[in-house]
Amino acid sequence: MAKRSALRCPQCGVEMNYHAEKINYMAALTEPDALDPDYGGVVEEVHTCPGCGTVETRRAVPEGE
Amino acid sequence: MTTTRPLFIPVILGTPRQGRRSEHVARFVLGELSKREAIDTTLIDIRTLAFAINDAGEAIKDAHFSATVTRADALVLVVPEYNHGYPGLLKHVLDTNLKEYIHKAVGICGVSAGGLGGTRVIENLLPVLRELGLVTIFWDGNFSSVQNLFDATGTLVDPAYLKRIDKFIKELVWMAKVLRYGREHVPREQ
Repeated sequence: MAKRSALRCPQCGVEMNYHAEKINYMAALTEPDALDPDYGGVVEEVHTCPGCGTVETRRAVPEGE
Repeated sequence: MTTTRPLFIPVILGTPRQGRRSEHVARFVLGELSKREAIDTTLIDIRTLAFAINDAGEAIKDAHFSATVTRADALVLVVPEYNHGYPGLLKHVLDTNLKEYIHKAVGICGVSAGGLGGTRVIENLLPVLRELGLVTIFWDGNFSSVQNLFDATGTLVDPAYLKRIDKFIKELVWMAKVLRYGREHVPREQ
């Protein structure tokens, strides 16, 4: 997946830690345009705030985009 | 930045059945967690979560339940064994979240009227929890012959379970601390 700028916590403004990716298979049904055919689902980044523990996700951008 | 906030470890009572003995177990575990100063906890009774049954998954999220799981560092599932499996409503409830679980610890307390202490339901739950992104610990709570473990007021009558649940909680706390540090400070390899 392509490297992007870090997310900022919407609660406290701290830079969040990008610690996981998860394939969301159900999202592929509701957002077929977002499906990554290499993985068979929608790949989502998972970010956690070191300040308050808030969790945010965003759709991963495939390499080359 | 190092966080000093207490670990938040809710206990999920995983059955709505009337007359459930698992409620005694859940309240016992809740009480043992509550004795530890560095832990905040709460009871989530799936009977009180009014999820729709004409849909499933993240489409029927409950904002309060999702926020509670988001805040959690670990979960304790108290789960009776029904026909060798887990209660269907528990799966329905768990399926409403996804990102909320990732890289968080989970421990399972199996409950049964027989002598196996919910071992089969624990084994059946493991692949589900793994797919949700949770990290299972290797200590379980096995509450066998639950009808004999508590008196009519819900007070534990077998003190061996105090020692067993202490080991369970210590392992869960270790995993919760490690995973919190990882979530908040260890970046995924790019």
